[in-house]
Amino acid sequence: MKKDMAAQEQEPTKSNQVDNASIFDSNHTTVQTDMLADIGLQKGFEVEEMRDYGAGPIDVVWNIDIHPALPKVKCGFVSLDATEGGGSQDTEDNQISLRKIEEAAVRGIRSGLDKVFLVAENEEMAKSVSGKIEWLASHGSLLRLDSVSLGLSLDQNDPSIIASSQTRVPQGSKIRKRAMRERESKFDKYNRPKGKRRTAEPKKRRQEREEKLQRFSRPRNQKLK
Amino acid sequence: MSLYQAPEEKAQLIDMLKAPIIQMGKDQGYEVVENYDLGAGPVHVAWIFKPGSESLPDMRLGFICLTEFSNRSVNEAIARAMLNLMDKIVFVVPTEEMTRSIKNAIESMPDRSILQLRKYVTVLTPSTLVSKSEILRSAERRSAQTGEAV
Repeated sequence: MKKDMAAQEQEPTKSNQVDNASIFDSNHTTVQTDMLADIGLQKGFEVEEMRDYGAGPIDVVWNIDIHPALPKVKCGFVSLDATEGGGSQDTEDNQISLRKIEEAAVRGIRSGLDKVFLVAENEEMAKSVSGKIEWLASHGSLLRLDSVSLGLSLDQNDPSIIASSQTRVPQGSKIRKRAMRERESKFDKYNRPKGKRRTAEPKKRRQEREEKLQRFSRPRNQKLK
Repeated sequence: MSLYQAPEEKAQLIDMLKAPIIQMGKDQGYEVVENYDLGAGPVHVAWIFKPGSESLPDMRLGFICLTEFSNRSVNEAIARAMLNLMDKIVFVVPTEEMTRSIKNAIESMPDRSILQLRKYVTVLTPSTLVSKSEILRSAERRSAQTGEAV
């Protein structure tokens, strides 16, 4: 879609570049909103678009009816883009500022949403948003931002939940660490022992090691004395 | 007040709103931190104090100066306060009119929101921060100088 839009543009001048960027962003947001609304409707949810509950606009709200006896679960989507308050430098760098993330998340929470999904332009940006949310939540605030909020993009196919490295890397495939340990044990074997091991070392082994160190720890072309 | 404020003008107004809070905190013997920031953005002033006993945790009272009213600025300020581990937050605003608008915005939250901010947020103007006893004392001082009855 971005390519099509770029083809339609005719050599933008510097003066209208900012306007074009904001037009692009608003079009992009509208497309995202429509897509999210369609997905919600396809799944049979009650969908609300561009709602303002008094804390700022929420692009799409899915009201998920899980059981007649239970209240509906409200999932809200807020698009994060260059038009979201402040400058656009952050979105140009594929990063969204903490300020925008915090604001959007609290907007959703104040609007009575159970979950707030922050929709970014691409997967990289969405991951960055999720990472920032995790970091903000790591300070131990009363508000566990990471349990309410998550960054996602519409073009991603993988789950957007960040897995910790312990769960991401299965046990037994920690190749790098194993290689490091093997290398360190080799050092222990061939280097001069330290501490108690030094005094406990047999004389014969010490001579043998010193001889090997003499022979192998010098440049190849250097002759022995 | 105009809708758009120049950054210098805004910074100047924030400094003006901050000054009495810093002074008051110091007078009360609290630890006063300017621009307290754990990473979520600055809380303009934080008063940190022990509530009576050493075994109780420190209390953090945050002050955020708002120079304009918008839902965006209120959302941002709440996020900054909560994520910087403030126990309570006071919004300091320049006018009574703004106090009313922000109070309305806070109190009009949907009932089923997980955050009920009525008990967490207080909105004040710097003039309401000065206690009535202070006003009386200054009036007494003035009357002693002029010889008028209070």
